[in-house]
Amino acid sequence: MKKDIAIMADPDTVTGFMLGGIKSGFPVHNTEESKTTLKQLVDDGFSIIITTEAIGDELREDITKYTSSALPMIIEVPDKSGSHKRETDPMNELIKKVIGVEMVK
Amino acid sequence: MAGEKLDGINPTRMELLNLKDRAKLSTKGHSLLKEKRDALIKEFFEILDRVQGSRDEVEKKLAIAYAELNKAQIDMGDMAVKRAALSVRESIELDISSRSIMGVSVPVVKSKSTHNDVISRGYGFAGTSANLDIAAKEFEESIKIIIELGEIEKTIIMLAKEVEATKRRVNALEHVMIPRINNTISFIEMRLEEMEREQFVQLKVIKRNMDAKESE
Repeated sequence: MKKDIAIMADPDTVTGFMLGGIKSGFPVHNTEESKTTLKQLVDDGFSIIITTEAIGDELREDITKYTSSALPMIIEVPDKSGSHKRETDPMNELIKKVIGVEMVK
Repeated sequence: MAGEKLDGINPTRMELLNLKDRAKLSTKGHSLLKEKRDALIKEFFEILDRVQGSRDEVEKKLAIAYAELNKAQIDMGDMAVKRAALSVRESIELDISSRSIMGVSVPVVKSKSTHNDVISRGYGFAGTSANLDIAAKEFEESIKIIIELGEIEKTIIMLAKEVEATKRRVNALEHVMIPRINNTISFIEMRLEEMEREQFVQLKVIKRNMDAKESE
């Protein structure tokens, strides 16, 4: 597996991260595009894919599918507009699922 | 006979012995799985403490980085920043290995940033502003902690999956398999006793008939 990082986000965020030294930047503009790009990146074997929370919310199903194995990691970071409050934070959801049942027990 | 039994079991002594072995094995497996589950959950809580702080840190750091990027874009213009970004050299070296927590392999990422000063980044000084340097530095630092966050989140995902699977197995054993086996064992025992009594009665009847015949 290629040990590489890719950034897939809106053009501004990509510019920022490329400035920070990530060579593989993939600016995307709409959901369709990000969906195919994400698939391409996973197929290419990038081990870490950074994307924004906004894109992450749109592609929730795909991300869950891709992240079920150890690699790749898909990391969602806030974009320029800052971290938006999400109704369902996937991390929290997961934690609730694991511990919630435990509480009942 | 209360409760569910296993299917397709004949009430024989052989089956009874087999079932008793199975019951022993299931109880042992159950307690082992329970221990595994508890250990996983403990591990899970430990890593949970780390994720919260890490997320906040990433958000704060990125907010600064975006602000600096904005300033650079205002200074130099969008295109110039993009051009500079394209000429930045790759800064991160990744080394991904894995470690095992209770049989769950989770990734361990070691990242090394190779940029430590303005010169090694790779863009020219002409036409770039000081804000760009700051933005680049902020992003480099952000990326580093983002990778750490990714590692922790991945660990949590993998652990959560394993916790769930283990929990399901513990519950299946505790609430389905073990009661069923026990029910079947007591069913066979009762059935065998019943057969013994039947035989006893038969013998008694035969004996009485024979006695009656003799005394005739």
